[in-house]
Amino acid sequence: MGRVSQIQVAGFCYPPVPLMAPAQSVVVKGLSKVYQVHERGAGLTASLRSLFHRRYRAVQAVQDLSFSIAPGERVGFLGPNGAGKTTTLKVLSGLLHPTEGEVLVSGFVPQRRQVEFLKQITLVMGQKQQLLWDLPPVETFALNRAIYDIEERTFKQTLDELTTLLDIGTIAQKPTRQLSLGERMKCELAAALLHRPQVLFLDEPTIGLDVSMQLTVREFIHSYNERHGATVILTSHYMDDVAALCPRVIVIDHGRLRYDGSLPDLVRSVNPHKQIALRTSAPLDRAALERVGAVVALDAARAVLQVPRAALHEAVAHLLGRPEVTDLTVEDPPLEEVMRAFFARPTAEQEAAP
Amino acid sequence: MRYLRLLLTQIRISLALGMQYRWEFLLGGGLTVVWTLISLVPLHIAFSGRPPIEGWTYERALVVVGWFTLLKGVLDGAVNPSLIRVVEQIRQGTLDFTLLKPADAQFLVSTAKFEVWKVVDVTAALAIFTYAFSRLGRAPAVVDVAVALAMLGAATLVLYSLWILVIAAAFWVVRLDNLAYLFNSLFDFARWPVTMFSGIWRVIFTVVIPLALMTTYPALALLGALPPRTGLLSVGGALLFAVVARVVWRRAIAHYTSASS
Repeated sequence: MGRVSQIQVAGFCYPPVPLMAPAQSVVVKGLSKVYQVHERGAGLTASLRSLFHRRYRAVQAVQDLSFSIAPGERVGFLGPNGAGKTTTLKVLSGLLHPTEGEVLVSGFVPQRRQVEFLKQITLVMGQKQQLLWDLPPVETFALNRAIYDIEERTFKQTLDELTTLLDIGTIAQKPTRQLSLGERMKCELAAALLHRPQVLFLDEPTIGLDVSMQLTVREFIHSYNERHGATVILTSHYMDDVAALCPRVIVIDHGRLRYDGSLPDLVRSVNPHKQIALRTSAPLDRAALERVGAVVALDAARAVLQVPRAALHEAVAHLLGRPEVTDLTVEDPPLEEVMRAFFARPTAEQEAAP
Repeated sequence: MRYLRLLLTQIRISLALGMQYRWEFLLGGGLTVVWTLISLVPLHIAFSGRPPIEGWTYERALVVVGWFTLLKGVLDGAVNPSLIRVVEQIRQGTLDFTLLKPADAQFLVSTAKFEVWKVVDVTAALAIFTYAFSRLGRAPAVVDVAVALAMLGAATLVLYSLWILVIAAAFWVVRLDNLAYLFNSLFDFARWPVTMFSGIWRVIFTVVIPLALMTTYPALALLGALPPRTGLLSVGGALLFAVVARVVWRRAIAHYTSASS
């Protein structure tokens, strides 16, 4: 008996990959989610009518979404409000059942909400908090320790690590209601990561934070991802977050997948221009500039030009040759603008329709 | 074992919370004493120095009020605070956090908050019992105390299950805080022995809203006058009710879609 099972084990263990570890951290195939929304017009009469006679409307939040994410990847979900980002996150974390399609996270079906699955994931929502309002965050940490059944030593170790990384040694001792938004978010992250999850769902984790706090949160997420090899899936309104954190973006619009790939590639495909910002000692001639590229802005001491990427080299060389130019920087157009242009484009489907 | 540790952690946190607002809670304790005394006034007017109503003398009715106070303390201390919070959490969508925890959601929401200072209610109830039995000139038998406590357990279980059903309804309807008020005002009838009500009211208060089970039966038990069959039926009924509530809860969770998509 013993020998047989050994051989079997040996057979399974080659190639040397753990049997249970899925090759993909997240697999989504043909995911659709339809909500039944109760419709009501404005005004008292409409409200009264809706008391007796309710109309329901099916809202297609997500439609035929497919993608997969490898362990340790950092992926950003982009899309306008109501595009289906949060819905997708909720389906992935098991809070919502998919109407159609298959979803696997760490090899589990999320909607079953098995204990082993729940111990591997975490969800942080920038707009909602799990910290106990009237008590210091350390109490929430203790509670989560009990809930996740974390061993004392592991807990101490993790908490020490998080406390150092997030610098929350003193603030975690103060009642949550006395903390600033940024301090609260740091503690919120700590509370969500005590059980060392392997898959992080972050829904607008930097919303409302000032720039330096955004940076802190961003750096922390990056370092957690590198230390623990955890998969990070993030939605954010701040393009800078996504640009700094996520080598890969998935763009969702009207519940459909619009783009899946690297952010620089997306920017290149939407806007094949580069922006050249100039500081000048004397005003430049507009007509002369127009010959180099499109003039975005021009005043006495400053000029901004848009130049096709292919012509960038020549343009820079030319501009540097002008004596009025004191400083020159080449940058991508602001990400917000790129995305606006991208969403303004018709989808493949709309183009196909007459 | 793990859930016991979880429960202890929750209680410890509630204690920490209670300590933070000690003045508020001390004041609350003082008010409880005043209200208990005030609640004795109508009883005093209805019973004192008059012939017994439906077999209920002043002292025996006092025992019912004692159970009412005790049960109120248990409910306000251990059941209501947690469950009122759930309705709020459903509305705000923060219940998501609870549902993503690798522990039973019903357990988590039911033990989220304890009002430790409601111990005052329990003390008040004990004072009423002492007074009533000293007037009766005897002490309750040990067996009767045990049966009465079992009845208290059954009553708490029924009320808790009612709450769970209300919350399960909240998953569909979302806004239900008013139901909590209705619940509280109906509960107020439980301070009267149920056999004092006649006709349809007695049926309603026994079967539909089990006020009889809540206070009259424990009181009868403590007085040594509860028919064993009624006691067994009550415990069995309470257990059955809890199972039903659990099943409905699970279905409600499956149906739950969190606020804001």
